[in-house]
Amino acid sequence: MGRAGISAFVAFAVGLLTLLSLLLGDNPALFGGQPGSEVLAERLALPGDVLLRLVVIVVALSIVIGIANLLYVHVGRVARGKFYSAVLLASFAFTIYWYVTNRGDSSLLEAAQVPIESALASLLFFSLVYGGARVMRKRADIWGLLFVAVVIIVLLGSLPLAELAPVKAWSDWLMAVPVSAGARAILLGIALGTVVAGVRAMLGQDRSYRG
Amino acid sequence: MSEEFNWLDYVEQEESAPAPARRSGLRRFLPRLPRLPSLPRLPGRPRLPRFPGLPRLRRRRVDAAPGQPSAADLLGAQDERPLEALDDRLLQLRERSSADSQPEADAGQPLYDVDDVLVTPALLQKPGGVISADALAKAQEQQVELLRDIVGGATQDEGQGGRRLMPGRALFSLGALPRLIVASVLLLGVSLPFVSSNYAEGELPPSQFPVAAQGAAAVYSLLDSLTANDTVLVAFEYGPMAAGELDPLAELALRHIVARGAVPLIVSSSPIAVARAQNIIRAINRSVAAGGLSLQHGIDYFILRYLPGGSLGIRELNENFADVVRVSAKGVLTGLAFDSLDDMAAVALIAESAEDLRNWAEQVVPELEDTRLLAFTGMAAAPLAQVYADSRDEIFGLVAGYRDAFTYAEMLQAKFGASKPQTGQPEPEPASSNAGHDTQADQPDAAGAQAERAEATVRALVASLQPSPTAPSPTAPPPTLTPPPTLTPRPSNTAVPTATELPTATATVETILIVEVTSPQQVRIRRGPTRADDILRLARAGDSFEVLGANADGSWYNIALAPGLAGWIAEFLVEERTSTRAAFEAGQASASAGPPAGPVILRSVFRFSLGKTRPRYYQVNSPTTSDLRDYVLLRNRSQEIPRLEAMTLGSLAAALAIALGNVFYALGALRGRRREGRA
Repeated sequence: MGRAGISAFVAFAVGLLTLLSLLLGDNPALFGGQPGSEVLAERLALPGDVLLRLVVIVVALSIVIGIANLLYVHVGRVARGKFYSAVLLASFAFTIYWYVTNRGDSSLLEAAQVPIESALASLLFFSLVYGGARVMRKRADIWGLLFVAVVIIVLLGSLPLAELAPVKAWSDWLMAVPVSAGARAILLGIALGTVVAGVRAMLGQDRSYRG
Repeated sequence: MSEEFNWLDYVEQEESAPAPARRSGLRRFLPRLPRLPSLPRLPGRPRLPRFPGLPRLRRRRVDAAPGQPSAADLLGAQDERPLEALDDRLLQLRERSSADSQPEADAGQPLYDVDDVLVTPALLQKPGGVISADALAKAQEQQVELLRDIVGGATQDEGQGGRRLMPGRALFSLGALPRLIVASVLLLGVSLPFVSSNYAEGELPPSQFPVAAQGAAAVYSLLDSLTANDTVLVAFEYGPMAAGELDPLAELALRHIVARGAVPLIVSSSPIAVARAQNIIRAINRSVAAGGLSLQHGIDYFILRYLPGGSLGIRELNENFADVVRVSAKGVLTGLAFDSLDDMAAVALIAESAEDLRNWAEQVVPELEDTRLLAFTGMAAAPLAQVYADSRDEIFGLVAGYRDAFTYAEMLQAKFGASKPQTGQPEPEPASSNAGHDTQADQPDAAGAQAERAEATVRALVASLQPSPTAPSPTAPPPTLTPPPTLTPRPSNTAVPTATELPTATATVETILIVEVTSPQQVRIRRGPTRADDILRLARAGDSFEVLGANADGSWYNIALAPGLAGWIAEFLVEERTSTRAAFEAGQASASAGPPAGPVILRSVFRFSLGKTRPRYYQVNSPTTSDLRDYVLLRNRSQEIPRLEAMTLGSLAAALAIALGNVFYALGALRGRRREGRA
């Protein structure tokens, strides 16, 4: 067994242990309520608990590493005369300085990031409407017509206008039946996909554990 | 990775100066703006510290010779899996990668700028661009082209001039006219209601939620049934992009929780959202500052530490709840001692996306036994959230979007007399309505409104002191709340104070059960009937308190500290006796004649300092619940109605633009087909 095989075996074993721990742990009823079943269930839950904490700690550390890597890359770009990298580094330093000297003051977030991201969300509205208005430009067929009709019905149905009550009934039906069915189908698909992806990852089919 | 070549050894080459872009349309007549300044180049790459033992990842300078493989070639050179194990699509991808990595394919590009590597001229010459060349099938390439055409981006044929895949079309050219028209119509639609109320369209949202078993009315009812001993976990799962829609919902939920005297524990798996929650608390503090009060972190609310790891972090919250609540967002120990999420009266989730809701529904809800998850979402996440709310009894909800926020605020106003939104047209204030604090100056009869508001506050206080704390709203079914800590009534002649007796307490002779502190030392009154619970205040020998109940084994008394504020004291520290209410209140009045005037709360703060944990104690004056309730629901709602009208007009304009645009383009397409048929 080579290095990749050992890595894959370790990944499989840890995955299986976590799975069993989450499924069987903290559930004494699975053991028939026999004396000592609670202790057994608690012990089974322990590996999953410990591994979960380890993963969270690793994820938290990866954020720190990510910040360090970001700075490393942009220091190099500043050396090549990249203006926006210099802006990024200056913003980083200023934000750290501001937060350290004004503990708890997040006015930078309020004054810069919230307006910028809200503006982006507003621009998305314009882009979507413009895209919706051009659907038939390229695809003038029954599917394009269906798309446009549904968009208009749902848009008009969401308006608080008494004159549009019949449209609102259609819109409610669309949201309650097709949209709800689609949402449930998406959830089922996600669940099945998660199971398959998990099994493939545990078996080393999707990920390389060569280190 | 192949042994022959290590991509980490690449360094970037000198960039050739880009050719000046051709200007089209009216932009030709505009003066050229100067380019952004470039920083001077340093003589060499900065020397970064090297640590012995670590592998050397990058060489300082390597001349990239023609023929060196590109990143796409490296993909093809991977030997992790045998060729026969690849499916057709991966084989096709491998062949394309090999074809793209010929010596003339601009080899040796730097890896610092990813686009410099990936967007090579050879790839750009592919029909679908760099993405389709490497990863997309033929059908997907067509879909990309279709999507690009729909949103008005340049096709590949138009975009061969430079590195940009979608060069901007001239702003005022004829081709951009439809875009300008659509943008103008939408801009007018969303702007006019803020300019004049003459353009108001549509009805305002209802003043009450429709009755539904687990709908928004149930969410309101459950939060409205909270008591002073309850804690609510509030999960902020949204970023600044959704702040405009979800901030009002989050603010209303927090104000409602605090107004009921409960304590919100704020948590998030996004560090930005933690900062956002602090800003909302700051906005609430601006409201209560009118009464000289402020919400104290560690007493009135807690902001817990950020949960890294996305769904795993949420899972950890569920599995290790006691650890998560132990530390605040600033790394300070909170002193909270909860074992599980079921110790919460409710879990309020304010989610931006369906993904956030799915994480909480999958990682948290299955472990809840008595606690309910209340869902506050944006309109985008509402369809999926509705599916969860319909499917699981543990999820109450949902309150979605700005219109529901308006209705929620109306219900709070009806109950607590909070501020009312100002419409664009001045309307006479109804005699029965209660003007808000920030609108009183505009009212003709400010004194009358003040009196009405005071009366409403008293009514709210009386209602909150009813024996049954879970008073449902008239339109909502009674919620299935977690029962509060068991209070075993003592077999005595105790007359539990009724709410209606409070304003006229001196008019009746009533016997009550009180406890008097007998311990010679100061004793602690805690938030719950355990020594692990927070200390609310200290008491000295001779202090007496009215008894509200006791825990199951009688080892702790539940005592009244102030209107709406209760605490627990150990039984062995006090002596039980009876008294008349008049005598008791007279004794309390004489005892409280001297300072301090308000209830004193002892707060302990632990700070980490280089491995040492040093407790520090200090005293703060905490407002009582009734004081807070007077001010905590005061909000500036002047922009609510124009925003709702802008949403209506904007949606109308969007529907109009989509309908007219598609009619125009469909007619054009039909005409084109007819012309082709003739040809």
